[in-house]
Amino acid sequence: MSKNLNLITAPLRKANPITVLILGICSALAVTAKLKPAIVMALSVTVVTALSNLIISLLRKGIPSKIRIIVQLIVVATLVILVDQFLKAFMYDVSKQLSVFVGLIITNCIVMGRLEAFAMSHKPWESFLDGIGNGLGYGSILVIVAFFRELFGSGSLFGYQVIPQGLYDFGYMNNGLMILPPMALIIIGIIIWLQKPEEEKK
Amino acid sequence: MSDRYIFRYIIILVLIVSLLLSGAALLLKPYQDMNKKNAQRINILKAAGIIGVDKHNAEQLFNQHCTATHDGELPYYIIDDKVTVIPMQGNGLWGPIWGYIGLSEDYQTVVGAVFDHKSETPGLGAEITTEGFQSQFSGREMKDYSVEVDAIAGATRTSDGVKDMIKNTLEAYKPVFERHE
Repeated sequence: MSKNLNLITAPLRKANPITVLILGICSALAVTAKLKPAIVMALSVTVVTALSNLIISLLRKGIPSKIRIIVQLIVVATLVILVDQFLKAFMYDVSKQLSVFVGLIITNCIVMGRLEAFAMSHKPWESFLDGIGNGLGYGSILVIVAFFRELFGSGSLFGYQVIPQGLYDFGYMNNGLMILPPMALIIIGIIIWLQKPEEEKK
Repeated sequence: MSDRYIFRYIIILVLIVSLLLSGAALLLKPYQDMNKKNAQRINILKAAGIIGVDKHNAEQLFNQHCTATHDGELPYYIIDDKVTVIPMQGNGLWGPIWGYIGLSEDYQTVVGAVFDHKSETPGLGAEITTEGFQSQFSGREMKDYSVEVDAIAGATRTSDGVKDMIKNTLEAYKPVFERHE
């Protein structure tokens, strides 16, 4: 049981796909200007990693090793298209904000990385948990980055103004750099910097 | 594993996947089309200065106020027999931009404008979709098919794109205006 739990908790901190493995950076820079798209993106990636891990793990004994990457890609692409269609049908506004980045989950290194490194050699349930864990590990960083970027870049959270008008009257201004991708990279860098010494202590 | 097995495996997999995807596409298409249609309706009504439109009442309000028509190949919308809403297309910095502009009866004043874009920079070019930018257009006099508004700092190319889009579109509609005056 604790081993299974570890599959979910490990990717949150000490094996975090973004801050430790440095995977999936591209979308982490692109969709974190606001909290809402970041959360939808995090959920989408979690669904795709969990289900593709599960499916590949179920198929793993039958997949011909010569074409295993192709099979993995087919499974991932199918799931991503389903997620994309689903968002377009039921969360139209968010899907417009995420635009191409939902489609680009197909090329997200975390997904393929977990399939190759874990699902091909582990049982379905463990693989499923591993997918959930990695999706959440990715998502947690997205949410942290989006929180700071939306707060300082737009003065709002989830689209609601949180920085009072009074502060603006005193000359406070939203930081335009926060909205641009370079600032996402800097925030991720700061998170890695804060996390590193803690890991080394252990 | 033999080649025969590999071929059989991949063919079956692809068949299953294609069935799954086409099934999902068929099932979800009505919802997606409705979303697109509603987004368009909301934009047209917003350009005509009708506020408080959301996806729930868009269809009803649209049918109530709006008639779609065209002059030759140029489509436009008449709202309450007063405002003319014209669809626009242009180029931003990274990709296409589009929108609707609503004109008063004498075609001299802008009633409202909405803009959307495919891939402008969030926080810079993408600001053309915000209320703050779009509300500037309401009530402005047109001069020579141009409207004077504040451009977006840091997004010169997108702002120029909006300017050109309005000018090009309205110039193309010039014959329509003249026929109706």
